[in-house]
Amino acid sequence: METVIILAIIIVAYLMMAAKRIASLVSAFRLQSFLLFVYTLIEAIKQRNTELYIVALLLFVLKVVLIPSILAKIVRKIKVNENLGLFVNVQLSLIIGLGFTYCSWIFSRMVVPQQEPFMAIALTASFTVTLAGMFIMIFRMKALSQTVGLLVMENGIFLLGASIAGGMPFFVEIAIFMDVLISVIILNVFVHRINKLFTHIDAGKLNQLKG
Amino acid sequence: MRFLVIFIIPVILGLISLCVRRIKFLGLAHACGYLLLIIASAAIFFKTVFLHQGLGAFNFFFLDGLSAFFLAVIAMVGFSASLYSIGYIQADIDKGILSLRKSQLYYLLFDLFLLSMIMVVSVNNLGMLWVCIEMTTLVSAFLVGFYQTKESLEAAWKYIIVCSVGIILALLGTILFSYALSLAGGPKSLNWTEMIAYSQKLDKNILKIAFIFILVGYGTKAGLAPMHTWLPDAHSQAISPISALLSGVLLKTAVYAIIRFGMIVNQGLGSTSYFSHLLTVFGLVCLVIAAGFIIIQKDLKRLLAYSSIEHIGIICLGLGIGGGIACLGVLVHIFNHAAAKSLMFFGAGNIVKKYGQHNMRMIRGVVGSMPFTGIMFLLGTFALTGFPPFALFFSELLVIVAGFLKGAYIVTGLLLFFLALIFSAMIYHFNRMLFGHAPKGMPRTKEPLGAKAAFVILLAVISISGLSLAWIYKPAVLIAQQILKGI
Repeated sequence: METVIILAIIIVAYLMMAAKRIASLVSAFRLQSFLLFVYTLIEAIKQRNTELYIVALLLFVLKVVLIPSILAKIVRKIKVNENLGLFVNVQLSLIIGLGFTYCSWIFSRMVVPQQEPFMAIALTASFTVTLAGMFIMIFRMKALSQTVGLLVMENGIFLLGASIAGGMPFFVEIAIFMDVLISVIILNVFVHRINKLFTHIDAGKLNQLKG
Repeated sequence: MRFLVIFIIPVILGLISLCVRRIKFLGLAHACGYLLLIIASAAIFFKTVFLHQGLGAFNFFFLDGLSAFFLAVIAMVGFSASLYSIGYIQADIDKGILSLRKSQLYYLLFDLFLLSMIMVVSVNNLGMLWVCIEMTTLVSAFLVGFYQTKESLEAAWKYIIVCSVGIILALLGTILFSYALSLAGGPKSLNWTEMIAYSQKLDKNILKIAFIFILVGYGTKAGLAPMHTWLPDAHSQAISPISALLSGVLLKTAVYAIIRFGMIVNQGLGSTSYFSHLLTVFGLVCLVIAAGFIIIQKDLKRLLAYSSIEHIGIICLGLGIGGGIACLGVLVHIFNHAAAKSLMFFGAGNIVKKYGQHNMRMIRGVVGSMPFTGIMFLLGTFALTGFPPFALFFSELLVIVAGFLKGAYIVTGLLLFFLALIFSAMIYHFNRMLFGHAPKGMPRTKEPLGAKAAFVILLAVISISGLSLAWIYKPAVLIAQQILKGI
């Protein structure tokens, strides 16, 4: 069951890399967070761990409900040109995504001991998601897609923490959630300001400062 | 428990700046508050370094000599920046650039920024360390984009994005550290004290991989080249007192994180060679990039930002060389670079305000139009480029001596070469800017008292700590070794 969810998370990461519009990127992020929530919930039920229930609940409230709706709201509000302005086209992006998975697999075989195949899969998935987030940040130069890319990277790290380290200490987990929420709010403030001052949110065109 | 006062001071000051709208009073209150912070951090330094007591509370805070040292750096720059802010903010209000509300907001963000940096050096848990460093980014992004011009918004956006990506890699590294701890049968905890206790049982391969993530991640925040791209933009666009804080302390808190993890890695691997090779390479890359950009630079504040990259490079080289003498060099360098760079940014702030631009080619005759700032800036230039009798000369000398003693001839030779290159480039740039005739019709101005006091205090710190090193050299090496144990 967990393996299926983890494979689904990888597939959603590919979907994000291939997304052409900001709205679809945001809904793919919502889907990925939901899958992460299910994964955490299963772990919580398995281990009968109250702290994990709270983490799952927070994950649902913040990353499935709150943050995607903040993002969707700002997409509607600033009436941004919907296209993501692909620096790398869809086909090539997907090939790069497969490459990410392959590299992560080789890397996780190095780190994880042989007798734990599930852990290797989880590690592969989390590295793929992290790299996909980084890819979105670098090659989709819209201020909003960079925000989503950051969140995707964070999702990958969350998966890593949940699967290989057996979850981080509880209060660290909470603090990281709060941190993510605050950074989304602050990034939104900046997206607003950039849109107001520049009348676009194309981070690729922010190139006044040089040298 | 008495050490908790270091958190209470910025919190109280933040509350005051929420309620009080009289800016003069706010400025004075901040200067007094951070003077208290200096006293508190001196007491903590004495307790941890000379009485060998670690301070801790709630299994959450933990302060040893290293934390106390960085706390002292934060307190010093925080105090001088708050002194300098009094006149700086007042002038902005008089010109109508800032409203009263916004200057209140400035002081609030200033306190939050300092609070988050104090938290960085005093938490025990490595996950919380990550959260606090991310908080410093989020708070200071507002201070970088404070004037809300196009350039400052661009700088703030780049700053927040590049640093967040970098720091997420650091979180990955932290998780790998905790994975190594759980493989070694340690407790489910990210506390540094437990990590270092288990360090010898940790899996060596995972440690090596995890440390790369840590170094790249926190290195982005520390301004290590080639992940430095946010740094010149953010430093040049921030308000001048904040530029001093960014360059003087913020970069150092990231170095602090690297040192903490480096201690675990060195103990875990049983030798310092892995750590020192990595840091030496990054240090050299920093020097090369900084030298190149300093030579061709036209913008005053960007030049100072690249000089920060240079000094971070020297610090990394010193950490890479390792050993007692280099450790002393690194600590003296961290402290005095913070002082000298704050001095330079304050001077640059005055100059930019007076001439209305950053371009060094268009600024002439600073000594003529602002005698006090001009002379302080000149002395600061000599201090920053490592001229005796200022402390940076001695710290660079210590690193170089340690390098030659260790037999790292090529690395140390390159360090000397780049230091000379950067020295001549900076003297060339500032000579043209400081001397010559001021534009016609530009009146002489006097600096506000607070700014003057900040300049004099910083200059005194740099020269006294440099000269006194000659007398206390031997015990100082021992103390440095004890603070940076294992490097």
